[in-house]
Amino acid sequence: MTDTSRRRFLKVLAGATAAGAATQFPLEALADPPDGANEFFVFIHAAGAWDVMLGLDPRNERRGLIEPPNTDVLDAASLDQWTDAPLDADSQTFRPVRPSGSNITFGPAIGELAALYDRLTVVNGIAVNTVSHPDGTVFAATGRHLAGGRSPESSIDTLIANEFGREALFPLISMNFPSWFVGPNLDRRAMPLRTGSVDTVGRSLNRSELFTSAADRDAVTALLTREARDLAARQQYPDVFNGMGLQYEGLRRMLQSNLRAVFDGAALASLYPTLVPTAAGARYRFFQSGAVNAAFAVEAMKRNVMRCVSFSIGSFDTHNTNYRNQGALQQELFAILARLVRTLDATPHPTLTGERLAAHTHVLVVSEFCRTPQINLSGGRDHYPNGSALIISPAFRSNFVYGSSDPDQLLPRPSGMFSDGMRAIAPPDLLATFLGAFGVDPRRYMRDGEIVRPLLRA
Amino acid sequence: MIRCTFALAALTLALGACDAAPSTAPAPAPTPTDAGPAPVQAVPVTSIPGHETLTQDATRKEGPRLMPAETYIRSYLALFGNLAPLEVQTRARGADGSALFDAWNDYLAALGLPDYRVDQPRGNQTNALMMATFERLGVALCDRAVERDLRGTLPLAQRVVFAFDGTPANLTETDFAPRFDVLHRTFLAYPARLAQTDRTRRFFALYQGTVARHRATGAPASRFTPEQAGWATVCYGLLRHPEFHAY
Repeated sequence: MTDTSRRRFLKVLAGATAAGAATQFPLEALADPPDGANEFFVFIHAAGAWDVMLGLDPRNERRGLIEPPNTDVLDAASLDQWTDAPLDADSQTFRPVRPSGSNITFGPAIGELAALYDRLTVVNGIAVNTVSHPDGTVFAATGRHLAGGRSPESSIDTLIANEFGREALFPLISMNFPSWFVGPNLDRRAMPLRTGSVDTVGRSLNRSELFTSAADRDAVTALLTREARDLAARQQYPDVFNGMGLQYEGLRRMLQSNLRAVFDGAALASLYPTLVPTAAGARYRFFQSGAVNAAFAVEAMKRNVMRCVSFSIGSFDTHNTNYRNQGALQQELFAILARLVRTLDATPHPTLTGERLAAHTHVLVVSEFCRTPQINLSGGRDHYPNGSALIISPAFRSNFVYGSSDPDQLLPRPSGMFSDGMRAIAPPDLLATFLGAFGVDPRRYMRDGEIVRPLLRA
Repeated sequence: MIRCTFALAALTLALGACDAAPSTAPAPAPTPTDAGPAPVQAVPVTSIPGHETLTQDATRKEGPRLMPAETYIRSYLALFGNLAPLEVQTRARGADGSALFDAWNDYLAALGLPDYRVDQPRGNQTNALMMATFERLGVALCDRAVERDLRGTLPLAQRVVFAFDGTPANLTETDFAPRFDVLHRTFLAYPARLAQTDRTRRFFALYQGTVARHRATGAPASRFTPEQAGWATVCYGLLRHPEFHAY
């Protein structure tokens, strides 16, 4: 290397380091991160890839590649916030939704969530670099692409459960969320309890008292806990038996609590009628199970038996004429979120006197990527490597949009200076920021990703 | 499930024998005869030059792993008498309103089976919900097995789980051990005396505790006699044992 090129190299290196320092900051600098022991977390995966042009990153002009949502391809009548705007002679597009005081501009699918603009943090222009559902799903939840069909790192819900949920009765309940438990730095109590629905958990916990009693079964579990521990003590690799010992103890605690109503979809629907509309012909009809999951989250938090719940709502995968429902699907997802927040506003915190759950609950909504700006020959939209995310959290800067997409192509635009230069925010950055918001050093778990300071509440 | 533990134990004993220090000097090599080359005599491994101080690594090179859910379900069906899944479901549910079982579909995700409809991968590690499901299924199997094997006069050869003679009223540990061994071999595939823990004594205490609870005045009504309930809990313990789920 010549002197000139070495000097240039050193200059570039120094510049990159300075830029990195500007973005990555020591965790001590975080303004008093919340105490995770009193916090609750909800992670939602909008499965199938949503069309951001209808919700979080609205477009209502033909420009470049973009064919905006319009009455030719979309069932606009089902959208409460749709107001016609002229597109061409025989079709209408929408007027963007921007409530008074809002710094966020929404698409018409935002529905009743628009009124809560001052609680929302929107991240647009996320560089997802994939258009494969399995890969994008794992990338959105873990910050890593699939390797050989498996995730190389744990998902965000597992990491948060590992940090703050180990002592909880249910550290993490995952209902069809892409939860992964990978790596050596995790406590096996944080293993996601993966299930298809709330009711499934209820059935697994159901016991008949006609033959043997709870005391009999508890004695068995106590014996097995001891067996697991003694076997672990004799193992070269004790982790599995140690983990089983911890999980037997977790089971005992689960069965000793009276949790039948928490894991009964019908009971939850009657407990939270505004969150889970059950009336015949109800307006919201697509995501009944998602609404039940949200109700479950509230009830489990209220009883302080759960630290994290994660679930998927979908599918938003609308490649053909089923795109007509894309707006209604998103509107229903956002309605569930709005009702969840209002329910949390009205629910007292289980351990902090005088506090409401809403002040201590953190919601992250992601999707694997978005849909193409063009309409395809089947009248739908295909996969596109751009993403948006929504955060509802007191730890984040609200009424705020971070990042953007290209006005002509809907591709991610550089959003800030990272250690590798100016670039768009990517899923690892979003997840690292979520960890950092609670004082967790992302480097303990994640290979990639940097904390994005502007997203956090000052 | 550690099906091969017996074989491993035998192998360990054999290796231990190889490794044992010589008590006397090696026997002199036999004189070659016209019948062919002399057989090679076994010698302690430490007498081989270069092996005097080398220790033999006989440890497992990998920790135990969770048994695949399909294998678990197959074992479960076999313990019901090699019935088809729907037959097991029907038999486990019964018609007595006992709510011992629902439908297989309710438990597949909790058991760790992948669900490709929703891109849910295989669960390859245990969690507390899986433990709860194992217990739910174990209770269903064992309670039905007690009803079938211990209640009536089913010939010994036709019993699938409790394939031993009737239980004396006040069972001693000596009476318990051979019966427990039958169950231990059925579920964990090796004799109870080879277990790494004091297993027979622990399970006998479990049996005694259950019988005492069921005999106590004011005990909740049960469809089982105290002895049947005792054997049911022993069955739960073996069917939910860590060694049953790991291999």
